[in-house]
Amino acid sequence: MLARRRWLTLWAFVVIASVVLSACAQPTPQVVKETVVVTEVVEKEGATVVVTKIVEKEVEKIVEVTPTPVPGEEKVTLNINWGTEPPTADPSLATDTTSVGVIEELFLGLTDLDDETMEAIPELATEWSSNEDRTVWTFKMRNDVPWVRYDPTTGQVEEVTDDEGNVRIVNAHDVVYGVKRTCDPRTGSDYAYVLYIVKGCADLNMADPEAENFQELYDAVGVRAVDDFTVEFTLEYGAGFFPQIASMWIARPMPQWIIEEKGERWIEPGFIQTNGPYVMTEWVHGDHLTLEKNPLWYGWEELADEAGNIEKVYGVMIEEASTAFALYEDNELDTAGVPLDQIERVKADPQLSKEFVNTPINCTYYYGFITKKPPTDDVRVRKALSMGIDRKTLVETVTKGGQIPANAFTNPLNFGSPALDPDIAPWALPEDMGGWGYEKAVAEGKKLLEEAGYPDGEGLDILLMHNVSEGHARIAQAIQAMWKSAYPKINVTIETQEWRVYLKTIDRESPLEDKPNVYRLGWCADYPHANNWIHEVFHPTEGANEPLISEDDPQVGEAVAKFAQLTKQAQVEPDPEKQKELYKEAERLFVDEIVGIAPIYYYTRVAVGKPWLDRVWGDPGRLHIWKWKIDWEAKKAAMGK
Amino acid sequence: MTRYIVRRILWFIPVLFAIALVTFVLARAMPGGPFDFAGDRSLPPSVVANLERKYHLDWPLWKQFAAWLWDLLHGDLGPSFRYRSLTVNDIIKQTFPVSFQLGILSLALALIIGIPAGTLAALKHNTWVDYFSSFIAILGVSIPNIVLAPFLIWAFGLKLGWFPVARWGADYTQFYLGFIPPMTSDFWKHAVLPTVALGTGLSASIARLTRASLLQVIREDYIRTARAKGLRERTIIIVHAMKNALIPVVTVLGPLFAAIVTGTFVVEQIFGISGMGQHFVDSVNNRDYPIVMGTTLLYSVLLVVANLAVDITYAWLDPRIRYE
Repeated sequence: MLARRRWLTLWAFVVIASVVLSACAQPTPQVVKETVVVTEVVEKEGATVVVTKIVEKEVEKIVEVTPTPVPGEEKVTLNINWGTEPPTADPSLATDTTSVGVIEELFLGLTDLDDETMEAIPELATEWSSNEDRTVWTFKMRNDVPWVRYDPTTGQVEEVTDDEGNVRIVNAHDVVYGVKRTCDPRTGSDYAYVLYIVKGCADLNMADPEAENFQELYDAVGVRAVDDFTVEFTLEYGAGFFPQIASMWIARPMPQWIIEEKGERWIEPGFIQTNGPYVMTEWVHGDHLTLEKNPLWYGWEELADEAGNIEKVYGVMIEEASTAFALYEDNELDTAGVPLDQIERVKADPQLSKEFVNTPINCTYYYGFITKKPPTDDVRVRKALSMGIDRKTLVETVTKGGQIPANAFTNPLNFGSPALDPDIAPWALPEDMGGWGYEKAVAEGKKLLEEAGYPDGEGLDILLMHNVSEGHARIAQAIQAMWKSAYPKINVTIETQEWRVYLKTIDRESPLEDKPNVYRLGWCADYPHANNWIHEVFHPTEGANEPLISEDDPQVGEAVAKFAQLTKQAQVEPDPEKQKELYKEAERLFVDEIVGIAPIYYYTRVAVGKPWLDRVWGDPGRLHIWKWKIDWEAKKAAMGK
Repeated sequence: MTRYIVRRILWFIPVLFAIALVTFVLARAMPGGPFDFAGDRSLPPSVVANLERKYHLDWPLWKQFAAWLWDLLHGDLGPSFRYRSLTVNDIIKQTFPVSFQLGILSLALALIIGIPAGTLAALKHNTWVDYFSSFIAILGVSIPNIVLAPFLIWAFGLKLGWFPVARWGADYTQFYLGFIPPMTSDFWKHAVLPTVALGTGLSASIARLTRASLLQVIREDYIRTARAKGLRERTIIIVHAMKNALIPVVTVLGPLFAAIVTGTFVVEQIFGISGMGQHFVDSVNNRDYPIVMGTTLLYSVLLVVANLAVDITYAWLDPRIRYE
């Protein structure tokens, strides 16, 4: 026995030693067969035809790419937390804030959004114009923006050249390709629906790729290159806000040649080709994603008075908010979100309170009512419930993040939003904001309930649902308590469901029996215009319409009809002032007369930033890191401690 | 013995097949699919249909399962629905080594602390040594990871600054042969706190198990015989008693190995370690069926192999156990 054990140990040593010694191999590129969709422009019977073929290509996949650090060069580095592994860096496929945040730094759009006014400002497009009824938009582009790639072996950013050695400049054809690619059902873009405003995009997106007329539909999408640097969009309906949609990631120019060559892996570091202020140098999935300055971007010189000095962005992927905050306190992150349970401590701390920032975010938290399900099928009940929520107390004692009580659905950061205007749902606003205040609201609510046949809430059985989350649970319980104290005889039950099951439950098409009376949801802007809010979410037929409002409703049917007509009218209204008035009236109808939802609060971001960091606190999906500045000496001094 | 091992290995196939089949059916039985929603908003049915078609989710179930099996036999676990540029193979290659390293280190720590502690407690039964180590053991078992981990970060990371606050010391681009980490001081410094967080709870249970088992074994007749024959106490304990005392520990170690080495969600989440634990949980939430299948399959393979290893170890520990 003893001898056998000795053998075993010897064997183990030999194995481990040989493994360790032989482990110094460098990773080699693999050659792999991959199926890739290739489009070719072909002459057929005198006409140029775009042919799509599915081809098996031998693709060389670099298994890992580690840039060789250039010795002795110190770069002004920003340490941030992306928050999670970005599901993708492909502009057509991004849906979540993290992916969009990364894409925003890498890819330029026709327009950008101003950090303060949210208006469209020139980026790749120098100017744009539309026809009379706003259905055709023409964008003139600049002609000096090169596609670039980062070469990991040299550590340099270089221009991309085509087969003939000419530098590839971002042009109108790239925009056309990008838009059509997003609309193309084979790409599998979740967010293509925002581009349905472009003529033909919806038809293409919903078509069967095997269908005979598929190529026709592809060619019929309303985007074309008038010349190399002019793009023309034809829309389904006239929209003054189209330049803002043009700023979104899904409408960006994309590099057709590299996408066709590498397929879905084209966004991996070493392959990816971009044109924005930063390039992706390293992406270790799940661990970190590094960006470095693209010296070939025009903005560093042209926009020098706004530009910052960040040369390198090292972004980690820590999901747990308290861990990220611990990294911040350890000086490993330059900025971080403050976890809910630490807000009090941060505000009280002498150093941290100076670094504390509270800014609004373009999202609204609300409770929706299922208007077809009794007892919330009675508008008086809905209104009383909305009146029974003490929003001021809620944001001060439960959410504690400096949130703003909401009286309208559309967040104030959007164009056309009548939020915080006391003409709309005044019961939702506290007295110091021009509203009724909670006492008066409850008094009115009680009257309404009595009228409806539920004095003090007697006989009223409300089912409230939300998805699993501690934050939502706390808010729901607080509101349940508020309703009980306002209408003592009411009975409120709270149920929770897992996120995807929940979304299915409240989906318009799901059976009524499975639905609750009140459901919790939030909405964040796709683009900062009221159309994305009040129309796309609550229009009875064209919107998601989870509350199931309809013109057949015996109580509010007329108001619903008027509301639906108003949002469509506002969509095409050319005069911005008139448009605002239309949206205001539409919101008033929706929140005040129809009472489809009870808006609760407008989101804020609660975060901290180091004293040596001077940053833009805009939308989390649009960081604009190129504007950020770091006092590099101060940071080095603090890190050296 | 070899015949036994071969037979057991052949049994893997139907067992793994059954696990794969049940997982496959259960995953698709959950309401909601991977593409129903983009964020909060539900997509139009025709768009969902297109996405599902792209990933063959519109095929009949048996065909989907057969396709998955076919790809599996070629070593391809399929694409990820959520991480579009990655395949399940990529995800496993990137995250499993990290979980594996953390798991091995924690298990090693657990055994190094747990077995000697348990042995000592059993030998010094009913003395202060026993009471003290039992107390520590109960503490270790009762304090959950979700409390211990942040405490360690706060105490030893932030306040004392002895160790890094979070993250793992190396990533998959730096591993030799795909899973052996570089033995740098940076790596070890990052490894300490997560290993302690995960290992102490484990060591506590192993200590208690060893103690209970050894207490029973040293009262056996053959131990009395050995003593009567004049063998040294040390030889009796280490050579004769421990082997049988370790049988319950080894029993537990099999499944424990499989569970720990495939990643623990809580510790990895709190320390910001990019291991496989999050994928077990997230893939279900995201209805990312290929990842669900891939991770479950990996876990099952490790489990059946570990159980086989445990059974073989029995034969070595206790000669009375024989396999035909």
